[in-house]
Amino acid sequence: MIRTFPHTGHLLGGMAALWGLTFAWIPAFGADEEQDESPYFNRKEVPEGIRDLKKIQEALQENLPRSRSATVSIDLGGGSGSGVIVSEEGLVLTAAHVSGGVGKKMTVIMEDGTRHAATSLGLVASTDAAMLRIDEEGSYPYVEVDKKDTAGLGDWVYALGHSGGFDKERGVGVRIGRLVRMADQTINSDCNLIGGDSGGPLFDMKGRLIGIHSRVGQTLEQNMHVPIREFMTHWEGMIENEFIGEGPFAQKGGVAFMGVGTELREEGGLLVKVVGEMSPAEKAGIKVGDVILEMDGEKVEAKDAFSAAIKDYKVGDKVKLRILRDDEEIEVEVELGEKK
Amino acid sequence: MMKKLKLKLSLERKSRALLVALLGLGVSSVAAQQQYGQLEGERRLNGKETWKAFEPVREVLQESSAVIYDGWKSIAYGVVVSSDGYLVTKASEIAEVKELNVRINRRHFKAVEVVSTTVEWDVALLKVDAEGLPLIEWEEVEPAHGTWVVSNGSTTQRSRRLRVGIVSANARQVGGGRSPVVLGVSLKTDEESESLSIGKVHEDSGADDAGLKTGDIIVEADGNPVKEMEDLQKVLGAKQPGDQVKLKVRRGEEEREYDVELRKRESVFEEEKTRNDAMSGRYSRRRSNFPRVVQTDLPLSVRSCGGPLLTLDGKCVGMNIARANRCETYSIPSRELLGLIRELMRSVGDGVEKDESPVEEPAGGSPEVKE
Repeated sequence: MIRTFPHTGHLLGGMAALWGLTFAWIPAFGADEEQDESPYFNRKEVPEGIRDLKKIQEALQENLPRSRSATVSIDLGGGSGSGVIVSEEGLVLTAAHVSGGVGKKMTVIMEDGTRHAATSLGLVASTDAAMLRIDEEGSYPYVEVDKKDTAGLGDWVYALGHSGGFDKERGVGVRIGRLVRMADQTINSDCNLIGGDSGGPLFDMKGRLIGIHSRVGQTLEQNMHVPIREFMTHWEGMIENEFIGEGPFAQKGGVAFMGVGTELREEGGLLVKVVGEMSPAEKAGIKVGDVILEMDGEKVEAKDAFSAAIKDYKVGDKVKLRILRDDEEIEVEVELGEKK
Repeated sequence: MMKKLKLKLSLERKSRALLVALLGLGVSSVAAQQQYGQLEGERRLNGKETWKAFEPVREVLQESSAVIYDGWKSIAYGVVVSSDGYLVTKASEIAEVKELNVRINRRHFKAVEVVSTTVEWDVALLKVDAEGLPLIEWEEVEPAHGTWVVSNGSTTQRSRRLRVGIVSANARQVGGGRSPVVLGVSLKTDEESESLSIGKVHEDSGADDAGLKTGDIIVEADGNPVKEMEDLQKVLGAKQPGDQVKLKVRRGEEEREYDVELRKRESVFEEEKTRNDAMSGRYSRRRSNFPRVVQTDLPLSVRSCGGPLLTLDGKCVGMNIARANRCETYSIPSRELLGLIRELMRSVGDGVEKDESPVEEPAGGSPEVKE
């Protein structure tokens, strides 16, 4: 559950968050700055030798066990993301495109395989921030949040996540990097992320949570995270189950749905095996035996990519499919419905 | 899509300028830009300036690892394992090479012999005519999560460039212990009758050529009784591509025997490309079914596998064996690699440990390795 491409062109959304940001940002320059001093290697342009590198390694390895124990896989049934526990009672931070809505049931999996039922709380649809709560009362391992938003450009960081879904043998995966780009609603690192990492935590070298993984770009160096200040700004609202902001990371109307069962065809495209009764696909006239070649001009090359792409649309959106039927290519428009 | 990205960049630059104006905090605009801009490429994790800190480790790579070429094109790296010119590399990357040649530091070797290979680990033992090559120091303890690791990334004729990263996950088997060679069938287990039957026979497979059919029940493989998947895997696990397996098969009332040629798993079964694969760029064709790997976040290319995996102390903790996806690279741990090298050298004859018992194998083949 990670998006390949960033959603773009939300000028107003960007402006709104700018004000929130100024509010959360000011304390970083306040009197507490010295207490929150970041490790010495963050103040160097680059590490100057093996000694500096070893210090980075030591800091990471000292904090890693706790970070790992609090990092969870989020099983959505038919997809998965990651998250991180930030309170003893089991409050979890994740991405809005992982939780997908307010009050939804899902399962949280700890690194040792223990599963806990959880319910999503509020989210910020415009910036990809979300919260869940583990249903069962208990004492859970958790990490410290960098509430004062002390992270700066060039800081050494590490990312954790259940890449590609939960794998008990492998465990949670850790990647190192630096903060390479800071913008109002997004921070980028060169910790490489992939599907399944979405919602997972980004830590500074003191083991404090500074961001949540959101999406990646085409190159390895475009790994994008929701900055922790976005969570701080909307903390109360999320706790109160509010659906904050508008798209693109979550839609109020639920998850978009087409209603076809497909199989990858050797020559490319997806062969339609099942068309749901009364589904949007049936209404649009799609038939068993059709081969879906393109959706809105993008080639359809894998089943999971196709279903993920559909979920990126809103209920009621119209998509154009290029379909091969009886050796002829035709175009069909489907109005997406809501997944029940 | 690029266009959209650019649009966003310029948009955020505008916001940044706006922010400085809004805050009015008395911080200089330079400081604000540093806080709120981009880190230059050379200072990133795999940037030129950052690599300088790893220079002592780069020198180890320069001296005791090899670059494998096909003509002028570098296609893989190798670990030098003896001062007289034995080295190991990733076998599948050199399988179809026309003009194999090797560079170790500044020395160029045009005559390269492929001594033996093992498909189980996808490792080939090569020999060049050399003496006095510096040897790498080995560390057999598996590196912990978060340990810095350093590898060859790219190369000019004179000098190596690094890739750096850390150990990312638990060392483990990948691919569920499935054999690297296959009959080319899908199998069904019937738990009641304790039998293993053929579901689908894949095209262009040994099973297809031998005449196996859907519904056939596999009774024996090379004389060993077969009741479940594992029984068959045990027999196939020790085989090489091109080897034969003798299957006793029940079809209806009749029992028949077939000699089936085994082929590489990845050449018979096409993997379905997942969404994660689609965002990964190029990855190794053989990237699964290894008995044990260390996982790192090294951003290696397909053509930079095969070389040593070093710690900050310049010690070798493994050999890079596959680029698996956007954030996962696999290496064979040094303990397993050293065992494997000993096995491969044994087939040489005048190798380090001469095995007194005759090794039964076809000429030019490789020794049996444990599953």
